[in-house]
Amino acid sequence: MIAPPPPPALLMSSAERRRWLLSTWRYAVPALASIAFLVLMLAPVPVSFPAMPHLALMGVLAWATLQPGLMPPWVAFLIGALADLLFAQPVGVNATLFAVATGLMRMSDRVFGRHGPTFDWALIAAVLLGVALATAPLMALAGQPTEVLPLLWQWATSVLAWPLVARICAAIQRRLAATVPHWRHG
Amino acid sequence: MDWTPAPRRPTALRREQNLALVSAVVSGAVIAAGLILLLVARVNPETASGVRTAAADIVAPIWSVARAPIDGAAKLADDIGDYFGAVSRADRLEAELDIANARLRAARAGQRELQQLKRLMAVREPSRTVVATARIAAATTGSVARTAMLAVGQGDGVTPDMPVIGADGLVGRTLDVGARSARVLLLTDPASRVPVIVERTGQAGLAVGRNLPLLLLSDRVGPEQPLVVGDRIVTSGDGGVYPPGIPVGIVVNPAPDAPKIRPASSPLGGGFVTVERGWIPIPAAAPAGPVFDAPVPVEARTRGAPPPRLREKPAP
Repeated sequence: MIAPPPPPALLMSSAERRRWLLSTWRYAVPALASIAFLVLMLAPVPVSFPAMPHLALMGVLAWATLQPGLMPPWVAFLIGALADLLFAQPVGVNATLFAVATGLMRMSDRVFGRHGPTFDWALIAAVLLGVALATAPLMALAGQPTEVLPLLWQWATSVLAWPLVARICAAIQRRLAATVPHWRHG
Repeated sequence: MDWTPAPRRPTALRREQNLALVSAVVSGAVIAAGLILLLVARVNPETASGVRTAAADIVAPIWSVARAPIDGAAKLADDIGDYFGAVSRADRLEAELDIANARLRAARAGQRELQQLKRLMAVREPSRTVVATARIAAATTGSVARTAMLAVGQGDGVTPDMPVIGADGLVGRTLDVGARSARVLLLTDPASRVPVIVERTGQAGLAVGRNLPLLLLSDRVGPEQPLVVGDRIVTSGDGGVYPPGIPVGIVVNPAPDAPKIRPASSPLGGGFVTVERGWIPIPAAAPAGPVFDAPVPVEARTRGAPPPRLREKPAP
């Protein structure tokens, strides 16, 4: 829990109301962290094949498992649309893929229940492979057909980078949970 | 009465089921919206251009500031590396300089002759004009599109479709230009097509990006003539965007059906690039309206319709 539900509005004192308003940014932390990953992906790394791991998508997927309530598919859609704008792709490619991937993570939570980090890693690898393979048909639908093969580079580096991304997101969640505000009411 | 009403679902369970239904509907709607956006992008690729440049305007300055200390550290490491082995490198460079000077002397005579011939033939050549010089601020290294961002924009005189040239060769051309940022379509992007010639044989062709390290040389004139490894590929000047003679790359795989080119410049390495005016810019013809006498509706004029060209009255 990184952002607790607010106390009933009637029972809030003015100081509590102020504290509540000042703590609403906590709801946006998953989205903001994913956007920070997105900006990080634009680093001018001197490589000539698409080797940058898909940090933004991995951030979205990590938050979809850590805080499913704060990373619903529509938030993932908005982050994906921002990714499309920043990567100069047709708007809708990453947006659709992010939303679908988030939905898949939610469904997998329901189907597989509690599981260990290795299973998580394999699941993420499968979802990322699906996303990489689905990019080419969506680009073709948008009228810019591309080859899918170069994106397998990105898939490989993404799978390697997953533990790091998951740890960063978990660290953010732990730090926020340690400072979560408490309401005394009723 | 032995009939019993169906047991009601508990409120919490009902609430949860309703929420799950609503969230499923919203998720479906969101995915459908994404597919519709894709179709819109297919019909009109320029749909999101304004938003795209606005997003680049925000991100490009951030990265141009963020990469400064990294560049500084890299330069420091380079300087330290230069200090070691300076003597052997100076010897090698002196030897190369002697060879280059000899070639230059030979070339100077040829150049004078060429100038005289051009003057005789009254050859008119457009000149190259540098519009802006900048470092690559950010790049999409994890996407199907290979673009880079510069932290210069319309304020510096940059417009779309200007060639971007690095110290070693061609980098790409500008695509979307915002107030403070410009997006560069790199040579390696799958949408990039550069008209080139093979310097040794003079064959024209296209250098096609593939989102991979090597470019493809396609549509070569006279494909039966074999290429050799090390053939230099330079721009031809066809199409008017890129000036002729800019190095594009070197043939590394002369396969007859699909020769591969290694690009001459690696733009993301941290060097400066120049944005130049288009080689033969498309003439900015004033939009000519239809020929008629009827007045143009004010709604059409406010939306940028050109003024009508009134029919000339026959001379009495």
